[in-house]
Amino acid sequence: MNDVWERVEPLLRQVERPARYVDREWGVVRRPDAGYHVALMYPDTYEVGMANQALQVLAARLSTLDDVACERVFIPWVDMSAAMRAHEVPLFTLESCTPVAEMDMLGITLPNELTYTNVLEALDLAGIPLRAHDRGETHPLVVGGGPCSHNPEPMAAFFDAILVGDGEEALLEIVASHRASMAAGLSREESVRALAGIDGVYVPSLYLVGDDGVVRPVDDAPARVTRRVLADLDTYVSPTCPVVPYADVVHDRATVEVLRGCSRGCRFCQAGMVYRPVRERPADSIVRDAIASLRCTGYEELSLTSLSTADHSQLEEVLRRLANRLEGTGTAISVPSLRIDSFTVPLARLLGDGRKAGLTFAPEAGSQRLRDAINKNITEEEILTAVDQAFTAGWRRVKLYFMIGLPTETDEDVTAIAALVERVFATARAATPPGERGGLRVAVSASTFVPKAHTPFQWDGQLPIEEVRRRQVLLRQAMPRKGVELSFHDAGSSLLEAVLAKGGREAAAGVEAAWRAGAVFDAWSEHFSLARWIEALASAGIDAAAYAAEARDRHGALPWDHIDSGLSSAFLRAERERTDRAETTADCTFGECTGCGVCPGLGVDVVVAGGERRG
Amino acid sequence: MAEGFRLRVCFRKAGRLRYLSHLETGRAWERAARRAGLPYAVTQGYNPRMKVAFGPALPVGTAGMREYLDITLTRFVPVAQVQEGLRASIVEELAPVECGYVSPTEPSLASRLTIAEYEVELERGVPPQELERSLDALMRTGGLETEHKGKQKFFDLAVALPKEPEVMSDAGRAAVRVWVRMGPHGSLRPETFMSAAIGPGRPVAVTRTELFIEDEQGWIRPL
Repeated sequence: MNDVWERVEPLLRQVERPARYVDREWGVVRRPDAGYHVALMYPDTYEVGMANQALQVLAARLSTLDDVACERVFIPWVDMSAAMRAHEVPLFTLESCTPVAEMDMLGITLPNELTYTNVLEALDLAGIPLRAHDRGETHPLVVGGGPCSHNPEPMAAFFDAILVGDGEEALLEIVASHRASMAAGLSREESVRALAGIDGVYVPSLYLVGDDGVVRPVDDAPARVTRRVLADLDTYVSPTCPVVPYADVVHDRATVEVLRGCSRGCRFCQAGMVYRPVRERPADSIVRDAIASLRCTGYEELSLTSLSTADHSQLEEVLRRLANRLEGTGTAISVPSLRIDSFTVPLARLLGDGRKAGLTFAPEAGSQRLRDAINKNITEEEILTAVDQAFTAGWRRVKLYFMIGLPTETDEDVTAIAALVERVFATARAATPPGERGGLRVAVSASTFVPKAHTPFQWDGQLPIEEVRRRQVLLRQAMPRKGVELSFHDAGSSLLEAVLAKGGREAAAGVEAAWRAGAVFDAWSEHFSLARWIEALASAGIDAAAYAAEARDRHGALPWDHIDSGLSSAFLRAERERTDRAETTADCTFGECTGCGVCPGLGVDVVVAGGERRG
Repeated sequence: MAEGFRLRVCFRKAGRLRYLSHLETGRAWERAARRAGLPYAVTQGYNPRMKVAFGPALPVGTAGMREYLDITLTRFVPVAQVQEGLRASIVEELAPVECGYVSPTEPSLASRLTIAEYEVELERGVPPQELERSLDALMRTGGLETEHKGKQKFFDLAVALPKEPEVMSDAGRAAVRVWVRMGPHGSLRPETFMSAAIGPGRPVAVTRTELFIEDEQGWIRPL
């Protein structure tokens, strides 16, 4: 292993925030003499990537293997990458400052479509050929995973293998398989082929796209790759000694995952579909890991994370116990992704006891009809009650998330957002003592709907960008001005997301062309250029606007049909049909099975720690 | 305000961690204090925070051998025990050098520490005699016009530098020791002074070796 620090250091004097590149944080595990070296990469800056909990979980799992070193890699900011290229410094890992190309495996999580060009940027900086078929015997295996693995095709050409689903056990099996292949002296091709024998692992080179658009295995690889699911989250402790960054990272706090999966069934939400079933961790484990994590890291804030933390059947007990243990330490407890209908008075009080972190609700749609159509299962009364309780308990700011362009949306639905916000503001104001009303803020964020694979809306097209912009103007004009801060996600980025979220293998050429034309950090508005992307996609034969807007045949082939998320397509189709009738579907953790297919298909079950959930 | 026990910690910011910013260093120390289980006091109010105050900021890239912070404890913990706890709770590059209690009524570190001693290491090949001559020539001009981030400033060298810079002629090394006076209107950066004296020959490394309190008896260490 070559330590390149001597060549990195002179560059640090000319770049922003050098703390991103120096390592030496608290909690770093260093194993220079390990027999196998894995680099885990988050395809964005250090500040964004260090907040990723999945990488912390995987690093903790790998650290249980004595002879394996797990090192971190992030994307150098543009000033640093320019300096590295100018001085021929390759992409390096943080822990040992080793060139990434010298690792045995490079694991890359794919959190969203806007990070795709960053993956190519990293491979190029590392000196690893972009396409899997161009790599030689000495290059590391490049293995993907994360949310975007559910439609892997646009990135398939750049990966040797892609894991679909939970990585706690699968990653260790992948490492074991590769080590066994190395020990047996197998070639790269044979090693990669062996990975296809692991449940949940997709090896793109073993599949071809037919003229009918169906992805089929070329020989004995499985016809469909079935998502890996960890049946019981409590099998492993939550990582309690993660690396504690110096730099001001996005979510700079201790985190404990309290549950995985969400079966509320919002029809636009990919996470709510592909991470089923709901698996809660018991209160005892959560409290134990939370205290251990705060002690080990020294963090001043603890976040209880999941897709919908307030749904946890023992959340109040957990918060009460944590409040007792943390009294007088100035430790704040935050609960992201609160569902409006599970925000109760006791919960408001319990959360209000420590420092009050921000409060965020996601009504998603303004009218009851549209909320029913997307199966949000929330009434306006519930929204206003939650706001009233929060502001009575002392909160002064609330952030509301909405979406524009959801299937079946009309102008009335858009203006209904403004009307709802107005009532939220009035409710918040009434619950706030007159002397404190000056600090009262309602932030409204409106994003553009992006159709995602494995959701009931996977066949839908995205609203054309001109129409999105018209509806944004409509919303801005209708929105009350006083005390309300309205912001929009860039519609251009959402258009690109839609193309890549819906895209097949042919999109890879577009991604590569965009990167070659300079696209990188597409999630950062100052670096994103829609025009550059449209041109790059066109060079790959894709008309971006038409591709994003195209609605697909609900019985035809989809580019992700070979990825089995466990959801039955009959269920997804039925859910899509209910949308048109604005009919809702209940959450199976509160009532009966809705027949999504996941539990019987994947041989798992819902785990509710407290026995039952109160609806 | 004068309640509790004011613990003063002298620490390093060395090695690779000289690239931390003041804010990053501060955060690292607050977390170390939590990990060490110190009985720190917290501020009252909406967002309770640890009661901790730092000495003058050290720029990104500049190392420090004796930096300071004050932290208020709610109960007395023997110094040796504090030191041991902190040493086990922070990385070597930020290690505590020594600790001690000071009076809770003592003015803040930022207002008391007015003299900084730096060691500026230069690229090899600058002969010590030439260095001496350049420094003397600059000191004789009496003043220095600087520009930092587009802002023009004038420094009266007799005030800005409380002591004549010293050339250190250790074997094979070219380094200069510079003493700088810090005040409410900022201070002369040692790198700026050195490039004014010797031209574009870039300093290789800058280390703040000491911080002093200036009083009637002279310069004293804050611990």
